[in-house]
Amino acid sequence: MSLTADTAALEQWYVLGALGDFTPGETVATRLLGAAIDITRHEDRIEVVADGRHLPVSTDYGHLWTSFGLTPWRRFELPEADEPDRRWVHCGAVHVRASGLRLIENFLDLAHFPYVHTDILGTEAQPEVAKYEVEQRRDVDELWATKCEFFQPRAAATAGEGQISKYMYRVTSPFNVMLYKTAPPAPDRWDVIALFVQPLSETQSIAHPFMLVIDETSSDAELIGFQQMIFLQDKIVLENQRPLTLPLQPGRETPTRADLSSVLYRRWLKEKALTFGTEARSDLAQAL
Amino acid sequence: MISAWTPIALSRDVPAGVTRAVLLEDNELVIWRSQADGAAHVWEDRCPHRGMRLSLGFVREGALNCLYHGWQYGGSGSCVRIPAHPDLTVPPTIRATTFEAVEVGGLIWVRRGDDEVPPPELPPLQPLLSLAVDVDGLEAEHVELDFAPGKLHLFWHASTPGRIMLHAALEGEADLPGAAGFVRQLRDDMEQGAAA
Repeated sequence: MSLTADTAALEQWYVLGALGDFTPGETVATRLLGAAIDITRHEDRIEVVADGRHLPVSTDYGHLWTSFGLTPWRRFELPEADEPDRRWVHCGAVHVRASGLRLIENFLDLAHFPYVHTDILGTEAQPEVAKYEVEQRRDVDELWATKCEFFQPRAAATAGEGQISKYMYRVTSPFNVMLYKTAPPAPDRWDVIALFVQPLSETQSIAHPFMLVIDETSSDAELIGFQQMIFLQDKIVLENQRPLTLPLQPGRETPTRADLSSVLYRRWLKEKALTFGTEARSDLAQAL
Repeated sequence: MISAWTPIALSRDVPAGVTRAVLLEDNELVIWRSQADGAAHVWEDRCPHRGMRLSLGFVREGALNCLYHGWQYGGSGSCVRIPAHPDLTVPPTIRATTFEAVEVGGLIWVRRGDDEVPPPELPPLQPLLSLAVDVDGLEAEHVELDFAPGKLHLFWHASTPGRIMLHAALEGEADLPGAAGFVRQLRDDMEQGAAA
């Protein structure tokens, strides 16, 4: 497979991993948008090369970012990154045989908690998704879902008993999403959990989960173990959705009220004319 | 060539309360059997909500529940419950894609195409086994072989490219272990023939 021709996808910026994943002096071969790329960490810089071409890089927020396009890196706001009592936790890289867009949509979804993360993030006894609000913030080109609430038996590694967790979701670009969630040890603050997705091909992705949490008691291994358990449960679903790409054609799937954020996300992707990782549509006139 | 009806599993292999994923000419199907009335259902293996394969779901009483969000489908294919909205009366337009299915001769049959042909007729058969055979390009068939003192019935259909599923059942008095050995040898011979 070769590099996509989808302009909208080429102009986006993508994560390639946490900076700590790259050892000075070593070259890592990976893929992005169908193309082979080589990442080399030198003492003073990181080089990303695709087919002989040097791609632009950013190292914001402890991650390596790149793009095939001409759009400059736009740093998304993340003030929590400057808070001294936050733990920075990189939760590894999870390979998933599905479109990165499916991963993002799943991350935005509350209704699967009781069934996929049973007795952890949800319980079958309380599956209701209360009304929440969604908006497209045009000044920063982000999607937000706010006032989300869900009953959770074990909301986080630190959670001792069930609680109603409050959530906010934020999509900063088509393949990057984060959530803000009640921090059990500090109910007036929010834990931040991000899912940065590296789309290898239209139906293969690497999820790079990352957390900025308030937690003085859990070990890194406990925090990472908890998130990996959650992501592995999601992986089972993601690899068994049909198609593996995200359908944008009306009528192909069936949203309900709980899927408001998914509806907005799909509309936003259409507005951007992004097709990489989406299902081919039969309802549009073919461009010549 | 058998009619529009194709046997896709031995009834015995789909007990009440379970799901089975089946590939029929590259189409993903799910078979599930109700605990309420014992009926076997054959549907497209895809929840209309988010495309999740229903074969990973769970059967409770007379309904199949999607693993992803717990959407519940009754035997007719209609969605009867969306747990995220417990008070919602689910619109009748939300349904799984269903196929007509019957059980004849200890096999589960699915009807394909638009021809409303009647289901096949067979004598009572004893289920033997189903197995995959890695060969190409065989049309769905049914053959009867003499297998003294009874008969061996073999049914097959294409599964994925390069693979068929073979279902075997016996008619009359029969040596079950001997027949199973014969079918396994047949599989090995077919695969070696395909490789040669």
